[in-house]
Amino acid sequence: MRKQSRAVLGAVLALIAVVVLAACGGSSSSSNSSSNTSSSGSTSTGTSSTPAPSGPATVVEGTFPQSLDPSIDFTTQGGEVHWLTHIGAYSFAHANGTAGTAIIPAGATALPTTSNGGKTYSFTVRTGMKYSDGTPVKACDLKFGVERALKLGWSAASFLTSTIVGAAEYSTGKAKDVAGITCDDSSGKVSFNLKSAYGAFVDVLAIPGVSFLPASTPMKPEPTNPPAGLGPYMIKNVVANQSFSLVRNPNYVPIPGISAGKVDINVKVESNTTTEASDVLNNQADVFDWGDTIPPALVSQIQGSGRFHAIQTNKTFYWFLNTQEKPFNSVLARQAVQIAVDRVALARLGSGQLVPGCYLLPPQMVGHPTQPCPPTGFNPAAAPDLAKAKQMVQQSGMAGQSVTVWAENRQPRLQWCENFANTLNQIGFKATLKTIADADYFSTIEVLKNHPQAGFADWQQDFPNPVDFYQNLVDAHAIAPVGNSNYEEANDPHIQSELAALYPVPGSQLNSVASRWQALDYYVTQKAYLVPFGYLSSPEFVSNRVDQSSLIFSPLEGPDFSSITLK
Amino acid sequence: MTTSATGTELEAGAWTPDHAPGEELPPGIGPYRLALRRLRRNYVALAFGALFLVIVILCILAPVYSHIAHMGPNDENVDQATNAVGLPIGPTWKLSHFFLGADSVGRDVAVRLLYGGRNSLIVGALATLITIVLATVLGILAGYFRGPIDGLISRAFELIWAFPIYLLGIVLGLVLGLSGLDLGIVKIGGNSLLIPALIIGVITTPYVGKPIRGQVLGLREREFIDAARQQGLSHVQIMFSEILPNVTSTIIVFIPLVLANAILTEAGLSYLGAGVRPPNPSWGNMIGDGIHLLPAAVHTMLVPGIMLTLCVLGINVFGDGVRDALDPRAKIRIEH
Repeated sequence: MRKQSRAVLGAVLALIAVVVLAACGGSSSSSNSSSNTSSSGSTSTGTSSTPAPSGPATVVEGTFPQSLDPSIDFTTQGGEVHWLTHIGAYSFAHANGTAGTAIIPAGATALPTTSNGGKTYSFTVRTGMKYSDGTPVKACDLKFGVERALKLGWSAASFLTSTIVGAAEYSTGKAKDVAGITCDDSSGKVSFNLKSAYGAFVDVLAIPGVSFLPASTPMKPEPTNPPAGLGPYMIKNVVANQSFSLVRNPNYVPIPGISAGKVDINVKVESNTTTEASDVLNNQADVFDWGDTIPPALVSQIQGSGRFHAIQTNKTFYWFLNTQEKPFNSVLARQAVQIAVDRVALARLGSGQLVPGCYLLPPQMVGHPTQPCPPTGFNPAAAPDLAKAKQMVQQSGMAGQSVTVWAENRQPRLQWCENFANTLNQIGFKATLKTIADADYFSTIEVLKNHPQAGFADWQQDFPNPVDFYQNLVDAHAIAPVGNSNYEEANDPHIQSELAALYPVPGSQLNSVASRWQALDYYVTQKAYLVPFGYLSSPEFVSNRVDQSSLIFSPLEGPDFSSITLK
Repeated sequence: MTTSATGTELEAGAWTPDHAPGEELPPGIGPYRLALRRLRRNYVALAFGALFLVIVILCILAPVYSHIAHMGPNDENVDQATNAVGLPIGPTWKLSHFFLGADSVGRDVAVRLLYGGRNSLIVGALATLITIVLATVLGILAGYFRGPIDGLISRAFELIWAFPIYLLGIVLGLVLGLSGLDLGIVKIGGNSLLIPALIIGVITTPYVGKPIRGQVLGLREREFIDAARQQGLSHVQIMFSEILPNVTSTIIVFIPLVLANAILTEAGLSYLGAGVRPPNPSWGNMIGDGIHLLPAAVHTMLVPGIMLTLCVLGINVFGDGVRDALDPRAKIRIEH
């Protein structure tokens, strides 16, 4: 026994020694990596000023993008990459605040001209552009990029199939090309012909995913070897679900308003939000994922670090309730949930960064209603009326019905879902959780045949127009077998008729229909097709290596990696 | 040269009975009573066994404590039990009010600890039962019949053995946890504790089945088995009445080891989201929830971690004592 004790003691001491050495080795290697990056772009001036390091900077993300192939991805993690690597005819301005929602010409020489009653958009493609592999860009490469997105089932394909003539037929294999897109490589002219006037079409053309792609790009998913793009960065060193690099494109032909980038970027995935935040707090990573929430355990440290800002980016968080199945085919049952949700508790669980609310359109968006929340005029920032909600459930005849709440296994979304399930149980349902890994959650609930009964969802604005929210989340035309985002399967004639009237309104004239949007949003909330519970601000949180004053944080695409400057 | 009591000449050092001729021999002590005697003298094993028993009793009394604390295992009180940024309160040391603090959604940690213990122990016990039954049946069949039956069973064991235990557990746990198990006659929901119990029970079977098979391979060549065959006993009768009693001590030794392993495996799978499904508590998923609150709310992770450690330690030390009592020369371990 004595020999065994000594052996055990020796093993424990050896283990401790290994851990200590590894910790020392880890810290020294991280300092070595930052000091070894030479200033390749700097020149020796003989002065005492130290040239700024040229990177790479490290961005830590909580989830790997849906796909690094721009023809598939439609996530915040993917969007913040693709708007720098795969550019289309237009882009959003690389600017902070509302200035960042303006559309700028990118692959096109100017904003498009419209004709044919707003159904035709025409523009000319810039000359002299090249892809990252050196291939010259041709005008018809944009049509190819659109067709590839349709063929590969881009998650936002409904923007295209519902607007462009022939897009729906092409996506279902009934046509050989998208008849509504005409292009001429020699003149550089491209035209999009729409089924009907659609005021937000230029915004759609600015979404990463509607991009120029070389015609030689295979018509199959390329997640680990993304196709060449014409942006200032290119994607390299992909390790699926773990990491990838954004390397500056040597063949980038400068586009006004889109910077060439100052440093290369290494992106790594860290699924634990506490570790993710700790990495940035301890300067082991440089930029925190704007799609994630600061963990409650580190809120005070991070807010006190002087490197954190909460940015309003028009992001709505909500519960969807499947209107085609019991119990939520009853409007009274849905309204009971609407008033029972404890938005104050959910705000706390969101590290205090969630602003309680009840409307789908966020407060900064045109069309956000100002009336008290329907159906009872309740205050979302006050405690819910559970007794009233329970009474409504009884009246609906749905008391005791089983409800499966689909939950994303990610902090704090899992906590929100647990609280929501608890609320449903308190008002008379029998709720159970179905927890899905965060990397698979949305792709699972987007499959229509799963018919998720209730669950968590959120929407980050893609462009500053209510159309973005409604076309994807509430429009009956968005219901699709795969890639469905109308999770509640709502199909309301009043909503459809209102949307038909509102879609053609150009973005520049939104204020003229603000009251109509407000009325529609109020109607949707009253019907409780979905139950919004708040609007989450996005974290701009960086390491002390990053010059935060020069960092651009787009309200649409998050931190602009091309603006990252290292001190 | 000495002489025995009957007059027989005995060599020096020969054994002599210490009773008079004709006197009745004292009654013999069976092997299990002997083992019990050895175990009663092993105070360390008894102490840890008592510790485990206390934990089991506490977990059984979970509904009583829930009544005292006025909180169910899934009742949330975000407003009272968390601050403005969602950080839960720490231990209050008041039995009626968050004795061990709250978790990330304002649930009572002490209440969930006991209910989680129930779930962990139930899953562990069920898994152990499944493992022991399957391993015994398959091990005896394989060792007794040999040939193709042994080949089939051994290959099945090796197939399961080839996968890292947690990898296999995670895959099965995620799939069955989402969709449940539908065998036509029997339907088990994804939230049922039977799912993780079945998974752990099946994947642990080879670790017990192989040693039993090995023991049976030796036993089947013994004379009493031949004698049983000569007497015309059927295969089933021989396996049940001759072989099974001879492997019982091995099985008894395995029970605490398998139970400890099953509880640990369940905790690991639940931590990874593939075991007991939330919001049902288990020590593993409580530790997983608590990890995200480090370093501010250490109690959420520390409390279930300590409980799990004490429980597994108690079973393991008691199990070692049982093994030493039954066969001090045995070297049985379950290794991954």
